[in-house]
Amino acid sequence: MTRKQRRSVLIATCVAVLGVAVGLVLFALEDSIVFFYSPSDIAEKNIKPGQRIRIGGLVEEGSVKRGDGTQVQFAVTDTAKTLPVTYIGVLPDLFREGQGVVAEGKLGGDGIFVAESVLAKHDENYMPPEVAEALRKQGVWQGAGQAAKAN
Amino acid sequence: MHAFIRLVARDVRLTLREGGAVSTALGFYLVVVAILPLGLGPDLNLLSRIAPGVLWVALLLAALLSVERIFHNDLEDGTLEVIALGPLPLELVAAAKALAHWISIGLPLVIAAPILALLLNLPANAFWILLLTMVTGTPAISFLGSVGAALTLGLRRGGLLLALLVLPLYVPVLVFGISAMNAVITGPASFLSSYLILCALTLATVVLAPIAAAAALRLSLA
Amino acid sequence: MADTPGFFGRLANPTFFLKLSGAVLPWLTGLTVILMLVGLYLVFFFAPPDYQQGETVKIMFIHAPSAWLAMMGYSIVTIASIGSLIWRHPMADVAAKAALPIGACFTLLALITGSLWGKPMWGTYWVWDARLTSVLILFFLYLGLMALWQAIEEPSRAGRAAAILAIVGSVNLPIIKFSVDWWHTLHQPASLTRLDAPAIHPSILIPLLVMMVAFTALFFVLHLTAMRTEVLRRRVQALRLTQVDAARAGEGARA
Repeated sequence: MTRKQRRSVLIATCVAVLGVAVGLVLFALEDSIVFFYSPSDIAEKNIKPGQRIRIGGLVEEGSVKRGDGTQVQFAVTDTAKTLPVTYIGVLPDLFREGQGVVAEGKLGGDGIFVAESVLAKHDENYMPPEVAEALRKQGVWQGAGQAAKAN
Repeated sequence: MHAFIRLVARDVRLTLREGGAVSTALGFYLVVVAILPLGLGPDLNLLSRIAPGVLWVALLLAALLSVERIFHNDLEDGTLEVIALGPLPLELVAAAKALAHWISIGLPLVIAAPILALLLNLPANAFWILLLTMVTGTPAISFLGSVGAALTLGLRRGGLLLALLVLPLYVPVLVFGISAMNAVITGPASFLSSYLILCALTLATVVLAPIAAAAALRLSLA
Repeated sequence: MADTPGFFGRLANPTFFLKLSGAVLPWLTGLTVILMLVGLYLVFFFAPPDYQQGETVKIMFIHAPSAWLAMMGYSIVTIASIGSLIWRHPMADVAAKAALPIGACFTLLALITGSLWGKPMWGTYWVWDARLTSVLILFFLYLGLMALWQAIEEPSRAGRAAAILAIVGSVNLPIIKFSVDWWHTLHQPASLTRLDAPAIHPSILIPLLVMMVAFTALFFVLHLTAMRTEVLRRRVQALRLTQVDAARAGEGARA
């Protein structure tokens, strides 16, 4: 092989390897690094109790029950599946029914998720309260957060 | 191709004959892994949970110690200029030297990792995965390191600067290497997708890093 | 380029650059001040509180423009680096170097305002999700580039070395941008660059856009000033060197 031929073989190999790399990323990007799992993921993936994970979704309307002290019970939903959660501690300001939430903790044997920390996730919509109220009345917009859409 | 293989063999032989680099890296790896449990307390459950992260981070730091030497000695005694004048394109020279670093430093560290994993109570089903992810990920460490080594060649305090430059670039390798292991140990993430991204990172680094390293070498040789 | 230099060719002449930037700067500074005042007025007296977040949403008017400048700053560094490596454009070097500390400051500002916003809203100052982590890496890249410039004395070599590293680091830019779409992150997805229904009500959107433009103008004021300083600093250094040479030559003649 001449010098020039060797050079083109080398460049072609480089491009091919890069192509393989891009292909692998596109193939694998589906669910590699998730900050949290949705209740549907939990049902699908067969998560064992006691395993430390983060779950995310919307706080189901009407599911929040406050117990003794700072104990709270609520349900996290992604509109398809729902997961009950208990938590002892202070909730963030933005924690509301119908809003996005991410909780870290373990799944108990009884199917209830015991959260050790709860973070609120807000969506990318910003508007004054009157507008939100008007939209809700018209039924155009439900105030559903990103967490449901992401799944 | 012959010149490439000869250059790799020469560099590997030099590093192994010198001895110091390999044993320093291994010793450093052992000490870092041994010191962490002392700081964190002897809770075996905690240790086995953080074992993948500790093993990866410590390996990264240990490999980084010797990355500076990839080009340094050859620049000092003038060999690098002679090699640069030779038939091999500078990109392949950089690739050969990074590959030699991986064979002589990276592989011994990977082989030591399962032994150190015993100290951290790594779950038994994770040992093969540890070896597999590390063999896949460590070439990226050597090749990215060669870019940093070429950029800081001949500078005072080059070693510290090198760490500052390349550590941020190592984050993806670290994240996906560790998440592939955690996927196997604790789930529920998919091992395959993290592992494939780790493969992609290594492949892309192996192709692109020598180009950047060669460009940086031309600066020091000019 | 040798016969009839285009605009970029003429820009390679530092004197032409100083003249042009000197003429532009006062206007740009004035524009920035006006935009800032209008923007701040809109933010504090026009923008309503958010339906969920209340007054805390005001942090967004600093956070989003800072984050945008953090990205734009690095894009400028990358483009300038390509310009200095391929075309050896002398001002590209200067542009890349001058943008570094400014970009780093805005990245830090985005990180700090982000944590201050995160504590009341999310319930934590910091999480290691993909968006936050990749922006932190961007900050480290800025620091590394600045350290590299400092470590190499000769400006032309420092510029080329930093350019190589900057181009390698630019893979991080798409990762930052798309991290919120590719992965489930705690950080919310983009509000501004959406094609479907507007995610922000006009009463909040307009102040935000004004602040974005004001911050961008501020960036260019700072960037141009820093570039001028760098050009002048190099001239002073060159003058000093010729003086030293002259003094040496004089001593040599006497001896």
